[in-house]
Amino acid sequence: MNIEDLLGHVGLRLGLQCLTGRLGFDRLLTSPDVSRPGLCLTGYTHKFLSHRIQIFGETEITMLSEMNPGKRKKALANVFSFPVIGSIVAKGLEVPPELLEASVKAGAALFRSHRDTTPLINDLTAFLNEVFAPREVLHGTLVDVFGEGVLCVGRSAIGKSEAVLGLVERGHRLIADDTVSVRRNGDTLLGSGDPVIGYHMELRGLGFVNVPELFGVGAVKERQQLDLVVRLVDADRMGEMDRSGLETLTTEILGLSVPLVEIPVLPGRNLTVLLEVAAMLNIRRKNTGSTSSEQLNQTLLEKLQQRRGPDYPP
Amino acid sequence: MKTRTLTVPNKLGIHARPAALIVRKASEYRSEVFISNGVDEVNAKSIMGVMTLAAAGGTRISISTDGPDEDSALEGVCAVIETGFGEEML
Repeated sequence: MNIEDLLGHVGLRLGLQCLTGRLGFDRLLTSPDVSRPGLCLTGYTHKFLSHRIQIFGETEITMLSEMNPGKRKKALANVFSFPVIGSIVAKGLEVPPELLEASVKAGAALFRSHRDTTPLINDLTAFLNEVFAPREVLHGTLVDVFGEGVLCVGRSAIGKSEAVLGLVERGHRLIADDTVSVRRNGDTLLGSGDPVIGYHMELRGLGFVNVPELFGVGAVKERQQLDLVVRLVDADRMGEMDRSGLETLTTEILGLSVPLVEIPVLPGRNLTVLLEVAAMLNIRRKNTGSTSSEQLNQTLLEKLQQRRGPDYPP
Repeated sequence: MKTRTLTVPNKLGIHARPAALIVRKASEYRSEVFISNGVDEVNAKSIMGVMTLAAAGGTRISISTDGPDEDSALEGVCAVIETGFGEEML
């Protein structure tokens, strides 16, 4: 992302007014954080973060205005002797001519915004955090089932899209088919689709299906937190699978552990219903802290204990 | 038809995990496999069935197998039980 992209994405929202034409538009942003150059203006340049957007708030502008022109020029020359990526003067404050001059000389963009400094910084960093968040593109289908974000994965042609189509027909909402872009935001994962593919699904034999066109806008959703991964596996793997239901699997996405369920695909199995139940079980586990399997086993263990008696074996 | 009687050797008895191990082993064979606790007899390929037995540690159970590979099925399933499912023994 360069300065021009930034202006295109949040220019209006942040009320950015460009004072330097297209100067420095090609400079690349490398950090989601911003910098307040106040300390640097005093001459303390150690650890000055010039690669971040510089925000000139009331503090900086007042400080500059209290300097005599010569000192002001020198202080700004000092700041712009570093490769400053671009600056914003907030709060609709008057831009000192020396700042504009120094920006132009350094070939760096200078903006002005009517917005107050702190909210401006909050919105800018929120946007930049989104841009710089770790992301990964996964092969699978993301669907919102009862509010749970279920990512359905499995080898090609195993029936992911068909199973999810069934979910959509039952009133659940599609986020993305086949290609899911996942972004990490703190401890949560957010999934969304590809802007070009949109809400199309590819169904073998039917071609591409535009889901909101057929099922209505309520059948789709722009983004969704990812809560569960369901992997459809070939039936020949069933022999190795745990049947007690006590084994809990997880998978790692962008460094976060996500619950995983493996469902063997067999003729006659209704994958749609199984996916729906998998989502419900995940909700139940989060609400009660244990699974149905664990609770059933607990009941059984208590019964086994009773049968054995307190002084068994004799 | 082959039958063998043995004692559930682990302390906790046949709870969900041991039941899953028995079922997985029994499902490897084509023969029918049954487990009885002297009162009820259940299909050893059904986890719910095996759990229903509620066979506590020390219970006498009998395994019977019937089918083309009944000998190896009996050996296989009995071996799983006799090893105590890798749990604490009585």
